[in-house]
Amino acid sequence: MVARYLRAELDSLLLQLLRDLEELEAKRAALNARVEGWLSLSKARCAMGAKSVGPLQYASHMEPQLHVSGTQTPEDVGPHKAVLHRRKGLTRAPEPDRSPAPQDPLNWFRILAPHSLQQAQASFREGLQLAADMASLQIRIDWGRSQLQGLQEKLKFIKPAIIFPRVSLLIC
Amino acid sequence: MGDEDTVTGFLLGGIGELNKNHHPNFLVVEKDTTINETEDTFRWFLNREDIGIILINQYIAERCSMRSMPTTLLEIPSKEHPNDAAKDPILRRARGMFMAHDLR
Repeated sequence: MVARYLRAELDSLLLQLLRDLEELEAKRAALNARVEGWLSLSKARCAMGAKSVGPLQYASHMEPQLHVSGTQTPEDVGPHKAVLHRRKGLTRAPEPDRSPAPQDPLNWFRILAPHSLQQAQASFREGLQLAADMASLQIRIDWGRSQLQGLQEKLKFIKPAIIFPRVSLLIC
Repeated sequence: MGDEDTVTGFLLGGIGELNKNHHPNFLVVEKDTTINETEDTFRWFLNREDIGIILINQYIAERCSMRSMPTTLLEIPSKEHPNDAAKDPILRRARGMFMAHDLR
């Protein structure tokens, strides 16, 4: 009875794990295919100068515009529940906010950034969402793996108890 | 942690931080960046409470002894080195799970 329940749970966990692995592979392939970000950066470099798009232009003070939420448990985490959140500093919130809103990184390079740089920014932002989904999937896969191993150990422990009653009946 | 283009791109995306103590949350790995420097920076990022996910180019992660990594590390492709699924540690660990006798 217990073994049957454990096997059912094992099957369900295994299926979920395989689904997560498939999803992770798909997201990884999508991230691999995102070359337009780098291409746009190269175009921007052509337009603005070879040394005009790089570490020399980074601001001396940077504040992140996106942050990761780490409050979800592995069971709740899924690719559809993005763990990436945009900071409210960019929107015009009615409540008084003493800290300055994070500056758009495009302004580091030039006041009127060329279209190619804006395209690069958009592409990398989409890449960030993919990366957040992949990180969530990795967490769930690792959790699923440890649950699977736990269940397999329990099953191995139960198996001798299942065999024993049959042996005693034979002796009788 | 990545090459210049990868880091510039993701900083453009809005995840860069350089706080008042001049502590960045990124590292541009150049030709003269040593493996020790990369590993030290990685350990520093790992110990920081304000960093949830570390993005690193796969070819840089390969060079360093960071493959037995926590789940918070995500290997990403670079301009010149697309990701190789065969080298991904998560998929390698998952492949090792599915042995026939374990599924009986």
